[in-house]
Amino acid sequence: MPCGEYFTSYEGRMGLFRWRTQRIALVLALPLPFLAPLAVEGGLLSTITQVYIFAIAVLGLNVILGYAGEIVLAQGAFMAIGAYATSQVLADGLFGVQVGLLPALMIGGIMAAFVAVLFGIPSFRVKGFYIAISTLALQFISEWFFNNGQLEWLHGGTQQPLPSEVSLVGSWLTISGSDMQLYFLSLVLMLLFAVISLNLSRSGIGKMLRAIHDNDLAAGVLGINVFKNKLLAFGVGGFMIGVSGGLFGYYIGFISPSYFTLDLTLQHYVMLLFGGLGRVWGALLGVGIVTALQEFLRSTLQSVAANATSLEPVFFGVVIIVVLAVEPKGVLAALGQLKDYLRKWPFAY
Amino acid sequence: MVDVSTFLSITIAGIGLGALYALVAMGFSLIYKVTGVLNFAQGQLALLGAYGVVIFSTPAVLGLNLPAVVSVLATIVVGLLLGIVLERVVFRHFIGEPVLSVIIVTLALGGIISGFLRFLVGPNFMSYPAALKPGWSIDLPLGASIGASFTLGVVLSLVVVVSLMLFFRYTVTGSILRAAAADEQAAMVLGVSIERTIIIAWALSIAITSIGGILLAMASGGAGFTIEAVGIIIFAAVVFGGLDSIPGAFLGALVVGLLQEYGAFYATDIIGPGAGEIMPMVFLLLVILVRPRGLFGTERIERI
Repeated sequence: MPCGEYFTSYEGRMGLFRWRTQRIALVLALPLPFLAPLAVEGGLLSTITQVYIFAIAVLGLNVILGYAGEIVLAQGAFMAIGAYATSQVLADGLFGVQVGLLPALMIGGIMAAFVAVLFGIPSFRVKGFYIAISTLALQFISEWFFNNGQLEWLHGGTQQPLPSEVSLVGSWLTISGSDMQLYFLSLVLMLLFAVISLNLSRSGIGKMLRAIHDNDLAAGVLGINVFKNKLLAFGVGGFMIGVSGGLFGYYIGFISPSYFTLDLTLQHYVMLLFGGLGRVWGALLGVGIVTALQEFLRSTLQSVAANATSLEPVFFGVVIIVVLAVEPKGVLAALGQLKDYLRKWPFAY
Repeated sequence: MVDVSTFLSITIAGIGLGALYALVAMGFSLIYKVTGVLNFAQGQLALLGAYGVVIFSTPAVLGLNLPAVVSVLATIVVGLLLGIVLERVVFRHFIGEPVLSVIIVTLALGGIISGFLRFLVGPNFMSYPAALKPGWSIDLPLGASIGASFTLGVVLSLVVVVSLMLFFRYTVTGSILRAAAADEQAAMVLGVSIERTIIIAWALSIAITSIGGILLAMASGGAGFTIEAVGIIIFAAVVFGGLDSIPGAFLGALVVGLLQEYGAFYATDIIGPGAGEIMPMVFLLLVILVRPRGLFGTERIERI
C-alpha cells in the first residue's frame, strides 16, 4: 500500500482501481491494446486475437475452477458445443430469421452453459475427483458425438465452414471478418468478460463461491446454498467458455472436432495455473505468456526436426508440474513476492 | 432376434476385454488405496507398456533388437523402475497437496508420456513381433471361442487379483501397505517407512499396468495410440467397483468390458460407430449419479 493514501469509504476499499498508481496505469495502459493494430499486423495480430479468444475461455474456467473450486476437464467439449451451436445459428438462423453473430455467440454460450449445469448436477452429492471424471467423460462423449456422421441431424455436420461475412446484430453492422475487425471484436468481448469476472469475484456471489471452495461443509453450515451456487458457477463459466468456442470457430472460419480435444483442456489448465488460479489478472497473464512460449517453441521445434512438434505437450507437462511444485499460486503470486522483496530491500523486513 | 451363440461369443469377448481392463484398473486402485493419488495417466502408462515392447524389439527405434519374451520382461522391469523414479522425482512433492494439484500433475504426466512416445515411435500403428501374436484359441461349447490374448488376460488378471489380495492379507509388506493406507501418521509412529511403502506401491502399480497395456496391444496385434482411451474407460470400472477396492476394480472392469462389447454389437446400428466406447462413459455417469462410492468402496465421512 503506497504512503499517504487511505481508504475513506467502503466503495474506495472495494473499488476495481484502488490506488493512484493503478489509475495512472489504467489511463496509460488501456489505449495500448486499442492502438496495437497500428504497430503490428498479419500473423502477430492474429496470434494476439487468439490470445483474447482463449482468455475468454480461461476466464470461464477460472470462474468454475478458481472461484468455485470444481475441477472441470471438459474445456474442449464446452468450446465445441459453443462453436457448433454458433455455426448452426449462423447458417440456418433462429427459427428462420438471421440473427447475426453476437446473438449466435450468445446462443452458443447458453447451450454450453446448459450442458455445464447438467454436468454440475452430480455436485449435489459428490465433488472433486468425481466431477473431474464425469466431465472427462463428457469430453470423450463430445468428441465421439461431433465425429459421428450418423447424428448429423443434431449437430449439423462433422466439419463445418463458417461464413466470414456476417452482420453483428440482425442484418446491421456487417463485418467482413478481416484481421482488424476480428481483433477488435475479440478485444471488446474479452474486456467485457474480464470486467464481469472481476465484478463477480468481489460481489456477494464471488465471496460465497470462495467460501464453498475453501470448505463447502462449513459454507453450508453458514447458510450458503452450496448446490445452487455451484450450479451458478457452472452456468456462468460454461457460458463464457461456449462464447469463446463460438468466437474461436468464427476466427478460424472452419470447425472440426480435432480442434476441441483434451489437449485444449490441458493447454487451458497450463495457462490458468501458470498465471494464477482464481485471479483474473493471473488468467490473462497466463494466456499471454503461455501463448508466446508456445509460438516460440513451435518455431524452434520445427527448425530442429520435423516430428519434434510432438514434444510440445512434453514441455507443457514439465512446466505445469514445476509450477505446481514450486509456486502453486502461479506467476502472479511470484510477482507479488518479488514486489514485496524489492519494496523492503535491502532490509529483510 | 437374439442369437444364443452370437450372444455367448460376445459375452466371452467382453469378459476377455474386461480382464485386460482389470489389470489397468487394479493398477489404479492399488495406487489410490495406498497413496491416495488419483492417477489420470493410467491410460498413458498402459500405452507405455504397449510401446515398450515395440521399442525394445524393433531395431528402427532405438537400435535394440531383443527377442520378444525378453522385451516383454524388459518392459515390465522398466515399469517397476519408472514407478520408483516417478515417486522420487514427482509425487514426493505432492504428498498432502490438494486433490486438484495431484489430478493436474497426473494429467500432465500423461501428456508427457504420450508426447514423448509420439516423438520416439511416431503416431502410426506398430505391429508386434510374430512371437507375440499367438494364433491359437480355445474352443468353448455352443460354437464360441476365446482368443489367445484374452485367455492370457483372464488368467493373468485372476492371478494378479488373487495374489494381490493374498499379499495384502498375509504378508508383512502387505500389512505395512494397509497400515500406511489406513493412517499414515500412526504407521510412521510405529516405525513404518512411508517413502518405501509408497515406492513399492508405485512400482507394483506401474508394472501391473504395463502388463495390461502389453496384453491390450497383443489383442489387436500391435501397439496404437487408441490404447490411451483405456485411461478413461477404467474410471468407469474403478468407480463402479469402489475406488479403493482391488476386487471391486476387477469386477467393475469385467462389467465394463461386457458393456463395451454389447454396446459395440447391439447399439452401433442405432447410434452410430463408436457406440462400444460410449457405453462405459454413460455407465460411469450413471454410477456417479446413483451410487458414487461404488459397490465395495468405503464411504468417506467428512468433518469440518
